[in-house]
Amino acid sequence: MQPKLSTTTLFQPETIYTSTATSQVEVFKEIAQKLYQRNLVTASFVNNLIDREIHYPTGMDLSVISSHYPNIAIPHTECEFVKTRRIIPVKLINPLTFHSMIAPASTLEVHFLFMILNDDPEGQVNVLAQIMDFISQTPSDQLEHFFKLTTPNEIYQFLNQNF
Amino acid sequence: MIKILAACGAGVNSSHQIKDALETEMGNRGYEVTADAVMVKDITEEMMAHYDIFTPIAATDLGFDPKIPVIDAGPILYRMPAMAEPVYDQVEEAIKAMK
Repeated sequence: MQPKLSTTTLFQPETIYTSTATSQVEVFKEIAQKLYQRNLVTASFVNNLIDREIHYPTGMDLSVISSHYPNIAIPHTECEFVKTRRIIPVKLINPLTFHSMIAPASTLEVHFLFMILNDDPEGQVNVLAQIMDFISQTPSDQLEHFFKLTTPNEIYQFLNQNF
Repeated sequence: MIKILAACGAGVNSSHQIKDALETEMGNRGYEVTADAVMVKDITEEMMAHYDIFTPIAATDLGFDPKIPVIDAGPILYRMPAMAEPVYDQVEEAIKAMK
């Protein structure tokens, strides 16, 4: 069993967002700019994020877990473009099209991003594993409620209590 | 010792989860396994010659044909036994075939 990072370490209230972006590139630019202003990523982060998503997509089809769950994506970059280890939740008001991580030829309509900032790939904590454990182990009615939340404060409070 | 090469786009999150899961599960099944996590773009034919099994997260065009068993390990990322077991079984079959 791997050690876990605490919710207060992985999530910060000031880096939880909702976005009305209407394209993948638009939301990446919007969030990357906010993260850059907080000195959490490098200036090259946004270009690597966009380029990497084209070649190595990160959409996750959650219908295999529950037909009631919206799909998510877990955008991330190589560690050299990141200055911290943190998860950046982004509620998408407008669902956006992503390609599937494990079946890249197929597309998914994504409603929520768990953007991963990870500057230490050799660390003992696997951030992606913690996200997927949260999704697979949270009671389905609660997770459905979570995905319907629309304010950063509500999202943070839920994650703080349930992640 | 069986050597597995796990790979994803960034070599950070996905491939490390696959590395950890395969080392743990194959260890539980009684096999000595070590895995490395790398970026797909860094993989060369020469690098792959040092490994016994290749486990990308999805079908991957490397620009050459791997000479070792290739097993798509993406379903492991869901952290659900029902999805991961078929991948583990394929890896175990590949290991058995080497012996």
